[in-house]
Amino acid sequence: MPNSFSPSDPHQATSSSATLVPLEPSFIEVKEFDFFYGKKQALFDINLEIPDRQVTAFIGPSGCGKSTLLRNFNRMNELIPNVSHAGDITIHGTSIFDPSVEIIALRRRIGMVFQKSNPFPMSLYENVVYPLRITGQRQRAVLDETVERSLKAVVLWDEVKDRLHESALGLSGGQLQRLCIARAIASQPEILLMDEPCSALDPIATAKIEELIVELKKDFTIVIVTHSMHQASRISDLTAFFYLGKLIEFDQTNKIFTAPIQKQTEDYITGRFG
Amino acid sequence: MTPRSHILTPFTDRLDHLRQTVLEMAELTKRNLKNSIRGLYEHDDDYCNNAIADDEEIDLLEMQIDREGLHIMSRFQPVASDLRDVISSMKIGANIERIADQTVSIARRARKMNAHPEVKELHELDKIIALAIKMFDDAIQAYLNHDEKAALEVKIQDKELDLLNKNFNKHLILRMQDDSEQIPTYLNLILISRCLERIGDHSANIAEDVVFAVSAEDIRHLGKTAS
Repeated sequence: MPNSFSPSDPHQATSSSATLVPLEPSFIEVKEFDFFYGKKQALFDINLEIPDRQVTAFIGPSGCGKSTLLRNFNRMNELIPNVSHAGDITIHGTSIFDPSVEIIALRRRIGMVFQKSNPFPMSLYENVVYPLRITGQRQRAVLDETVERSLKAVVLWDEVKDRLHESALGLSGGQLQRLCIARAIASQPEILLMDEPCSALDPIATAKIEELIVELKKDFTIVIVTHSMHQASRISDLTAFFYLGKLIEFDQTNKIFTAPIQKQTEDYITGRFG
Repeated sequence: MTPRSHILTPFTDRLDHLRQTVLEMAELTKRNLKNSIRGLYEHDDDYCNNAIADDEEIDLLEMQIDREGLHIMSRFQPVASDLRDVISSMKIGANIERIADQTVSIARRARKMNAHPEVKELHELDKIIALAIKMFDDAIQAYLNHDEKAALEVKIQDKELDLLNKNFNKHLILRMQDDSEQIPTYLNLILISRCLERIGDHSANIAEDVVFAVSAEDIRHLGKTAS
């Protein structure tokens, strides 16, 4: 049972199993976490516990730090020069900043979906199996099964099964985003991070993704950043409200959207924020 | 405390209009209640007839409140205090309509009593009438001012009204034994007192809705054992 991000971890080193069910759901804990872009502090003393196999939504106005925190979970922010942090983030009790943690292995455990779908200029099939290919997986049966299971999981299989080897770029916006989710879950991550995954989609495509998110939480711990408060209220179990780099309130979504405790939360979600 | 306006002005306007409609409905109902009482005390059927006729306008306002509430929910998808405010306003509209129905019942009973000579027991209703009107007034003021404390006071007054009604009933039942000729009149008085007691109950319901709107606390059925 994996509880560290060591590259020697058998769970991380191979993707030989085609099942999409992670071996164990993750538990993310953020402890007294500060984050800086150069000298500018973007996050202030964040403390947060994200439970297993639930959808946690991050909401707040632009620049409040929600995406910054999300990108810390898979250490993506480290691609930006001059960033630094204090405090800790743990998954299963193990710090993601521990020197023994191998970043590539960490990111394999944490799938990510972005605002704009980012298909690779290759076939649908190759898009989905890309995370397996880069780990050296070449067994055709494993790759085929992964494609089928991943695309079925995102309810795209029936729409594309006859053109798997055609370019992915011919899909619609909603289909492309579902393809990217299929790719994100192909390598059996435990956590799925979503940064405004529906902001470029029409209402029908959005509804399909939302339905998918609710379905996927059976197998994955999902953290979603969204500007749509109605989306957060529809699909998340827990909601965290951020403002000016601070976590203002974190509670059950039902509580946040019916009776928030903090006035700043109330003002933001009711549209009274000046 | 009145909440600040929304960034979206039409949303604020719609919410304000909904609340205004509730207050207008409450004002008409209070006028009808006073007319029915006046018809009873002054033996004037015209006041009673006015109270009965004007009830239709109140029914229409109840439906208007529901339409406005649904419109806000479908168009603006309110959350938190706004959502509670819309739901509470719709529930308060329903309670005011029931108070108006009790008012019509009082007016009808009063018309029946006006055909007979007045009995001195009529004035034993004074306190009950005053308290029922006060509770309704206080509940609506609490709604107007988003005043949780004032709403909780209404809940306390309800117990007092229940007791006054109970004692009035006991007394009139004893009077029936002594003066059987007046039984129909005493029965009408008991039923009018019952209507006033129901007005108190509906006012207490309004107060509960105000507390929910202001603080998100559901204070209904407190103290009752769950089955």
